[in-house]
Amino acid sequence: MRFITTAVTLISLCIGTWAIHESDVGVVDWHKHLVGVPLYGSTSTAPTFNFIGNRSLIFFGTSSNVIAALDPEDGSVVWRYIFGPEDPVTGYYKLDNTVTTLSGPGGSTLRNFNALTGELLLEKRLHLPQLGALSTPISLGKHVISSPESKDLFILTNGCTVTSLNGTTGEVNWKWTSPDQGSLIIHTKLISTPEALFAVGIAKSTATYTIHVTSISPTTGEVIHSANIPSRVEDPFTEFTILTRPELTKPIVLWLEKGTIGHVALTPTLKEKPRPIQGDVYSQFLDVGLTNHGQAVLLREDGSSAVLKLSEEGRLAKSKWEFQYSLASTRNADYSYAGGVDTLGHPYVARVHWSSNLGKGLADVFAGHLASGEGHSNDFSFQFDPQTYGTIKHVALDAESSQSTINSRILVTTSTGAVQLWDQHQLKWSREEALATVTLAEFVEVPEVASASDVAASEGFVSRVSRQISEAQDFPQYLVNFVKRFVTGSYASPTSSLGPTTTNSTEGIIRDAFGFRQIIVAATGLGLGKVYGIDSSNGNIVWSRVLGLGWAGEVGGHVQPLKLYVTKTVSDGGDPEVVLVAQRRADNSLVDTVLFHINALTGSDITLRSKDNFPLEGYDVIQGPLVESFLLNAEKKFLVFFDEYLQAYLYPDTQETKSIFAGVAPSLSFPLRTTVEDRKRVIGHQIAVSKDHHKSLAHPTWSLALPLGEEVQTLVPQIRGPIASIGKVLGNRTTLYKYLNPRLFTVLTAAPARAMCGIYVLDSMKGTVVYHAEVKANLRGCNVKTNFVENWLVYHYFEGEVGSGTAGGAKGYRMVSVEFFEGQKVDEKTKSSEISSFSNDTINYHFYESAFIFPYDISALTTTSTKFGITTKDLIVATKNHRVQSFSRHFLNPRRPNRKTTAEEQEEYLITYDPVLPNDPKRVLSHNYDVAKTVKIVTAPALLESTSLVLSFGLDMFLTRVAPSNTFDVLSENFNKAQLVFTVSGLLLAILITGPMVKRKSLREKWYHS
Amino acid sequence: MARPFLLLRILSCIALAVAFDITGKVSWNDICPSATILGQAKASLDEGVFTGGITVNGQFTIPDVPEGTYLLSIISHDFAFDQLRIDITNSSLPKVRPYIPGTPMNPPSSILLPYPIVLSAKEKADYFVPPERFNLAGMFANPMMLLMVGVGVMMLAMPYLIKNMDPEALEELKEKQAKMGSIQSAFQSGDIKAGLSSIMAAAEEQTASNSTPTQANRGGSRTRGNKKTKR
Repeated sequence: MRFITTAVTLISLCIGTWAIHESDVGVVDWHKHLVGVPLYGSTSTAPTFNFIGNRSLIFFGTSSNVIAALDPEDGSVVWRYIFGPEDPVTGYYKLDNTVTTLSGPGGSTLRNFNALTGELLLEKRLHLPQLGALSTPISLGKHVISSPESKDLFILTNGCTVTSLNGTTGEVNWKWTSPDQGSLIIHTKLISTPEALFAVGIAKSTATYTIHVTSISPTTGEVIHSANIPSRVEDPFTEFTILTRPELTKPIVLWLEKGTIGHVALTPTLKEKPRPIQGDVYSQFLDVGLTNHGQAVLLREDGSSAVLKLSEEGRLAKSKWEFQYSLASTRNADYSYAGGVDTLGHPYVARVHWSSNLGKGLADVFAGHLASGEGHSNDFSFQFDPQTYGTIKHVALDAESSQSTINSRILVTTSTGAVQLWDQHQLKWSREEALATVTLAEFVEVPEVASASDVAASEGFVSRVSRQISEAQDFPQYLVNFVKRFVTGSYASPTSSLGPTTTNSTEGIIRDAFGFRQIIVAATGLGLGKVYGIDSSNGNIVWSRVLGLGWAGEVGGHVQPLKLYVTKTVSDGGDPEVVLVAQRRADNSLVDTVLFHINALTGSDITLRSKDNFPLEGYDVIQGPLVESFLLNAEKKFLVFFDEYLQAYLYPDTQETKSIFAGVAPSLSFPLRTTVEDRKRVIGHQIAVSKDHHKSLAHPTWSLALPLGEEVQTLVPQIRGPIASIGKVLGNRTTLYKYLNPRLFTVLTAAPARAMCGIYVLDSMKGTVVYHAEVKANLRGCNVKTNFVENWLVYHYFEGEVGSGTAGGAKGYRMVSVEFFEGQKVDEKTKSSEISSFSNDTINYHFYESAFIFPYDISALTTTSTKFGITTKDLIVATKNHRVQSFSRHFLNPRRPNRKTTAEEQEEYLITYDPVLPNDPKRVLSHNYDVAKTVKIVTAPALLESTSLVLSFGLDMFLTRVAPSNTFDVLSENFNKAQLVFTVSGLLLAILITGPMVKRKSLREKWYHS
Repeated sequence: MARPFLLLRILSCIALAVAFDITGKVSWNDICPSATILGQAKASLDEGVFTGGITVNGQFTIPDVPEGTYLLSIISHDFAFDQLRIDITNSSLPKVRPYIPGTPMNPPSSILLPYPIVLSAKEKADYFVPPERFNLAGMFANPMMLLMVGVGVMMLAMPYLIKNMDPEALEELKEKQAKMGSIQSAFQSGDIKAGLSSIMAAAEEQTASNSTPTQANRGGSRTRGNKKTKR
């Protein structure tokens, strides 16, 4: 083993860095360009179809804080803009050939994009972010419209300020803030007419709201008139709307007063009298994005609905289009409404719902301009799959009509975060945007292909002989094939594509030669409740399951995944299994901990509670929240959970696991963070095994009290993996033994008052502080990223000045590398990986540390992991400029000397210390791909010792292979088989020719000598 | 919770103090000729609390930056830019200075760059290495290969060389080979003493043969011809 380690190190140092070839792009890696789940709650961020010139694009804002433009033809991302974490996008407004966005608190920042390419045309701060008023929903009180005559934009921010600025230069023409600063009146919408700009809002009055309108001169920003409209609105979000048409000069404000529609036309002087429309009683208005085309949907209490139309003369049409009331669905919420405009400017309204009777999605599309203004509707059905995609949450419509036929396509957003485009009844494409919310992912190895010769051992002699004879018939064929393969065939290379997957239903997924094909089990966050099985070789989704809500299905709720464990691997025999531990929060505020036991290859339920085509049903392990859980790997793999009272629960809870648990429990310890008397602490726990039927309890054993005002941010467990060598042989033939305490974990703390951040490495059994460092906080607080593997700790932070403001030191990002070794000097050995944690030798260690200047801000870091841990561990980071990059361990060696290296140091391949880490673009694993907002990187070993699989997820999903010490265990890529065969056959030929010659010659020589 | 709180607190301090909008421009060059090629990029101060997007014409504005010393970097996926030190003071325009990563901020560089800032891309990242291809010329350029070819040629040519040698030289060569053979076989059989003695013998002979020519030289020109025949 030692020899191999040395050999690997030598090889890795001799050969240059490992890098990717351009031809390998898309072969060894894959990348999912995602945008996030559409925010369909507000019309200003919900998906819409838009025409820019003759091109159609879908725009929407997403939960990942992205504004995206999709191509409706194939669902590809045309462009996307990613907003910063302090700059939440509140809405987008498509104006002409541009898309304008407002983001930040109160809509503090305005951006203007080219709608076709996404190029940033203008960025303008409208007010300081801390002056922004928080609003719920976030889009309330923000609006952008363009002036019909000029390039000017009118922007409503904070619900009280209207700004007029030049759309190209960003120069402010005028600014108006309402006198009450938004404390009484919140303006929600701007309407522009040639004569006046109307800011319409709601004013709080006793018990109800009143509609308030201010008319402003569009050129000077002077207030023409400001008045309350005598109205009483109970819910300003659903009982009030404004309808207008492009050719109209008088927009109409509509509201519902006890179910009756009241309306008034807006003039600059606000002199018009409000009038009620007697007749039907309605419950709410629904804005389907057609208010500027004079249409809105009216809902009644019983679930029926009608389309309200504004005629060309600016009057409300007498007749409303009634959608056919379907008795099949009684609940109002089952209907989704959508509006769309065609290239000629004709509006359409669609009503979409899932019919459980027919097992189909049904859509009614209404075109108000057809049938000479009477309106005409068209319906179609589509095969929506609610078992895989949940329920229809939002619909966007794109329709066009010729004579009396309506061709429509709808964009459906589902409760599981999928975005689908249906062209009438045909599914054009589907995007799994839930993958942008993945919070947990694990690699699971897949089994080898079952060999056909694995026949039962009970086979008799005669049958075996006959079988072998029958098999021997194929021998000549085999021989021919063998020779053919030997001469012409190519060898599997780690950079070769794995070819088409053999994932048909009977075979299942099988392993490739090097173990690059694994299943990635990924669980989504945001309460979308979905688990995916992804083929790691090509990124295809092999299976996906919806997480069921159990009893909470009746009251509603959501499932938030907490932990993912691989409880059974291929080496344990049978299909691999994973357990997903999740927190189910029911809408009646009850919290339960549930687990889902899944077959990693097929996604089927191991517990057989649920059928394959239905949502997965979980097992309620704790009637309450989870405090901590672990996977114990002692004789048998099982899970241990702790509830709020620190009672231990086992899964599977059998007599066998109980007895194993009772055996290993005394040697277990785990840390938790708590608050005791206003002081934050990290408290270590041990488990007292109960002898009777009560649950075992965990009790505190040690506590680390942090200084006053210091808070625990996170506890980061050590990354475990095989350790190939326990020491490091130095150039002078001495050895540094690695300090391999398996109980170490890292604690990150923040002390906001002192603007410092702490890094602690603790022993979980005793609470010994093995390492402690304090670094400066930055303006964002403490943002330290850390990773601990074997005896190597790295952490990343920004070194700046907060408070004092001197610029003496060098500002910038730092990466600190710390290595722990046993004893106080070389050749001291304490067997730290084996000794009891109560031995004095656990604190007998020393460490080396070095800080390096790091080129980027990072969002995640980890190290590579390989099958036996022999290969050097490189550092993999996800940088804020959307790259996944690897950094060589050799450059991060804390023992790099501060002078010219000696011969002995050169023998160790130590390089002279240089504070700046080399930033080699050849080590950018994600190369041209834009891998944005990575939250975590997971690495997994392949069958090849040299190679590690790297998966990053966050917004985008990206997978590649890395070989930190080069692919030393496979033929090099420039190995030329043809050449080898040619040489061997050439030599053979030479022997055949020269053989007789030599024989003749020796015969002749005999004649001469005798 | 602590993080946004800290941020808000610091930002609220900023609101009271002077704030300055830093403006600048990315000038297009051969490395990065347009905003389309640059992609989405930002100008960022320090750890990125103050940022400004780079617009289609290369301009950027970082709004409301309080007094202080900052490090300006351009965050771009594909392009590397120089970092700059920006000093914002109450009295005058921001001071722009070049900054080399890894060097101390103080004392500041004596070079002052113009404001508004003008930056251009220094380098485009090249992520790929060309694949190694089988190269016949390269293979023969390898010294090992040359040695092997040399040995091969010698092997083939040896019999002819020996054939063309005159008989006396051949005799001598054979004698030397035999001696070497005996030394080798002695060492191989473990008889170090015999091996050593044979080396000594060979050495003695060498000195003897070395001395002969000197004696012969005294002898005059006649022996010279003789030596020629011997060698």
